[in-house]
Parts: sequence; structure tokens; C-alpha cells
Amino acid sequence: MGAPGYKPRDLITVSHLTRRYGAHTAVDDVSFTLGKGEVVGFLGPNGAGKSTTLRILAGFLGPTSGTVTIDGHDVVTDSLEARRCVGYMPETVPLYPEMRVVEYLRFRAELKRVPRASRASWVDDAMHKAGVVAVAHKRIGHLSKGYRQRVGLADAIVARPPIVVLDEPTAGLDPNQIREARELVRALGKEHTVIVSTHILGEVEACATRVLLIHQGKLRAQGTTGEIRAMRTKAAVLLVVSGDGEAAERALRQVQGVSRVEREATGDLWTLQARFGKGGSPAARASAVEACVAAVVAAGAGVREVRPAGGSLEEVFAALTHDAPGETDSGGVAPELEADAP
Amino acid sequence: MSAFWPIFKRELFAFFVTPLAWVLIVVFLVVQGMHFYLLVSHFSATADLGGDETPLSAFFGNTVLLYLVLLVLVPPMTMRLFAEERRSGTIESLMTAPVSATSVVLAKYASVLVTYVAMWAPTALYLVILGRTGPLDWRAAASAYCGVLLVGAAYLSLGLCASALTRSQFLAMVWTALVLLVLFILGVGEFVTREGTAMHEVCAYVSVWAHMNDFASGLVDSRRLVFYGTLTALPLFVATRAVSAWRWG
Repeated sequence: MGAPGYKPRDLITVSHLTRRYGAHTAVDDVSFTLGKGEVVGFLGPNGAGKSTTLRILAGFLGPTSGTVTIDGHDVVTDSLEARRCVGYMPETVPLYPEMRVVEYLRFRAELKRVPRASRASWVDDAMHKAGVVAVAHKRIGHLSKGYRQRVGLADAIVARPPIVVLDEPTAGLDPNQIREARELVRALGKEHTVIVSTHILGEVEACATRVLLIHQGKLRAQGTTGEIRAMRTKAAVLLVVSGDGEAAERALRQVQGVSRVEREATGDLWTLQARFGKGGSPAARASAVEACVAAVVAAGAGVREVRPAGGSLEEVFAALTHDAPGETDSGGVAPELEADAP
Repeated sequence: MSAFWPIFKRELFAFFVTPLAWVLIVVFLVVQGMHFYLLVSHFSATADLGGDETPLSAFFGNTVLLYLVLLVLVPPMTMRLFAEERRSGTIESLMTAPVSATSVVLAKYASVLVTYVAMWAPTALYLVILGRTGPLDWRAAASAYCGVLLVGAAYLSLGLCASALTRSQFLAMVWTALVLLVLFILGVGEFVTREGTAMHEVCAYVSVWAHMNDFASGLVDSRRLVFYGTLTALPLFVATRAVSAWRWG
């Protein structure tokens, strides 16, 4: 699958990667390449094979078949050199609780062969970037979840690797911490090639420049974040109107391209959601949004608010793969897959 | 092997930061101290020092206390080496750093071996005390410590291997204790099997009791060196293979 926009100098080449655990196939014939300086979102529901793929990139697991090359080093035959190129933060952020933050990072820097002379300054630098200077002398076991996550991040960047791989870096954080984590990831993108996995669509939009969609072990689609966002904004439109909600609903049903309308009373206002049918071009959907607003106004209702809606992961899957949602996901997608950008 | 030194340092730190380490060391020294005291009072009460029995050979060779202490001490020392990291997930951070399986295994092994040596170090004082009261065969003392080191090296290696083969610290401890116990009981078999049978030969060959008796009286037998060298190298090799195999498991 060729993706637009990547440079000829590929930092990571994944070719026909398959990983099985016994009879279960976690990753199934996945191929992609990543260029220098990209921030790539690895998107998929829980159990899609994201973590397995990232663990193979990081050198923790071996591929059952297929090859993975990192900056020219094969992860199987030249594992140590490949691992030197990757700073990896596992999903659970495992740390040694008995160590102090600065001790831990110095240990990790030494382990990752940071030259002795630059070790202290690189550790300081990583602590500044990850925002853990304030807790540098605390024991890791006493840190909050948010700080532990940051220590994991500092560990991933301490040896200044060309590639940083973060597995669900915002899992278990509160909304403020999530926002900070995303800013950190965006900042990392200036110096590293970053791979971030997540099951939240909004998260990818917030920090990635390119998206890889993985589902049931297979790479379903890839595209730029702009394309993903377009899918989202064009999936449905939400209108908050005052006045005659029922008339507005009837008017919306007449608009070309609208497949379904839902109406809900919120106080003395009405919330109307117009969903667009599949297959329309982005331009057609954009004009459908304008037509919706015009129709509601013509029906005598006042428009208070217009915003894009819908665009769940399921729908984006459908749009990107040009399949019906039912076909891309036979098992049903869990509720947390809904896009929930705060 | 560049990963050896940082992992070695961290392992020592991680061990000595836990109360377990100090409990083990204190228990060890209390038991050995009592052991020494009993032996010394026994020998001072015996007017006639017949035969080649000396407090030194008795301390290292003739009583079961030495091995019983090792049976109890080694499993808790080695159980956490790999099992703890696999249970808590830190093994994922460790193995995604540019470290080879060999350097991880050797660094962890070296850390427990150094701890073991540090535990024995204070017992050198007993030799000093003995040396002040009468003549002491320093060469026999050296060979006795050589035996202590060899036996410990093999036991710790077995313990490390058990820890690499299971995720559970408890199981690692139980397996290590079982293997050491079987080795010990086989050795005791030397005294219950009939001389001349193959079983007797096997039992005599693996008997830690007989080995330490030799070492404590100044006998360094090359068969013992081969036996303990193998018993040290083989589990380390298996552990290295196990660590490499996790990637494919």
C-alpha cells in the first residue's frame, strides 16, 4: 500500500510482517514504511495488533514471518543495532519502583550506551523535555500515574534515538494530563520520528501527521491526518436550533445527501443530527452542510450552533476502506472506539 | 557486553535496597556464628585432638549446617532475578534496550555471586580468631573457601536458571530448593548405598558433603572443579537460551 507524502529515505520498513501466538494471529501480513520526521498514529481498537507490532519494532518480540528493518538494521539478525535506533515506551510503563527518577534515567542512559561524558547532560535534557525535573529525586514507586508516564517518556528519549515508539501514551491519564502528553508527543515530532498507538481517533488527529489503521491484525488503511479529519467532519452535522424543531427536522429530511435525521430536545432548544449517506464526495458533503443550514432557516427555526458530528472509528474505517461498516467489523466495535476528543 | 556493568550495579542496588537482603545476611551470619561457637566449645572441651579433625575442617566440611544454610539461602536470593522483572513487566524495558541475552544473564548472575561472597566475607574473622589460638593451615582454609565459592556458584546458577524459566518468584524458589534438596539427598545416598554399585558411584560423585570434606582438608580435586564448573555453566547457558527465546514465545 503506497502512502502519499513519505520521503524516499525510509527509516522503518515493515514487509509482510506476521506474528502468531500459537493458533492466534495477532499481526497478519502488515507492510508499511515510515520516513524521517513523521509523526505516525497507529490507530485501531483494543486487541487489533497495535502493541504486538510496536513490540516487534522495539525488538521485544520477534516476527513469525516477514521482515522489519530499522534504519537499515534487521530486527532479527541485527537486533542490538536496531534497538539502539528506537526509544520505546511500553503500554504499561514498567519502571523499577525502588529507584529514584534521576537514578533510573542514568541507569537507562548507560544501558543505552550514552557516552559517559554526555550522560548527565542528556539525562537532564530528557527530564526537562518530559517535565520530570520537579520529581527527579523522588522514588518512582511514590509517583503518580501521570509522572510515571512522563518518566517512561524521558526514558524513551534519553539516548536521543532517531525513532520514538510510544504505546498508548495517554492511557489512564486524566484530561489535563492527556493534553500535556499530546503536546509532548507533538514536540517530540520536531526531533524524532514518532510512532504513537491509540484506540482514540481524536488522539491521532491531535498529534499525528499520518495515520495507519490496523484492525484484526491487518493494516486496513493509511492516510494523512487531514484525510482522516475530512472523513470525520463530513460524516454528519449537528445543529442546535431554537423554535420549531419538528419543522426543522422535516426540512432536513428533504436535503439531498442526508440519509438520517435524529431530533432531541435539550431545554428549550432542539439538537438535530443529520447523517450523510455513504459514497458522497467531500465537496458534495460540504455543500450538503450548507444546504442543511439553509433548510433549517427556511423552515423558520433559528440556528444557534453548527458543528461536525459522528465520525466514529467505525465510520472512518468504512470511509477509508470504502467498505460498509458491517463488513470491516464483524465483531462489533466497543463503545470506547467513538471519537472522544475532549 | 557493554550492558553488563549497568545491569550488575542495578541488581546489587535492587537487592540491598530490600529488607529481604539484610534479613538473609543476618540469618546467615547468626547461624554461622552459632555454628562456630558450638564447634569451638566442642573442641576446647575435648582434651585429646585425635585424628586430622580440626575446627576448620569441621566448620566447612563435617557438619550439615553449611549445606542446610545454603539450601535455605540460595532460593530466596535468586528467585527474583528474572521472575520479578517478567511479572512486573520491567523486562520489556530491559530487553528493548540494546542488551544481549548473555550480558543480562551474566550481569544478574555476577550480582548474586558478589552478594554471596559478601555474605561469607565476615566468616574470615573466625579464621583470624582460630589463628590466634593456635596453628592454622592457611592453605586448607583457602581450599575450603574455594569449595564454598564453587558450591555457591553452582547453586546460584541453578537458582538463576529456575528464575528465568518461570514468571512466579515463588515457583522459582520452590524449584531451586527442590533441585538443591535432590542434589543433597543424592549425596547422602553415598552412605546408604552399597559400595561398588553404580548408584554408590553416582552418589559419591555428586555428594556436596564429600566434596566439602575434601576441600576443608586442603584437597582440591579436579573432578570437583569439573563437576561444579559444569553445574555452573550449564544452567547459565540454559538461562541465556530461555531469555533469547522469550522473543518468540
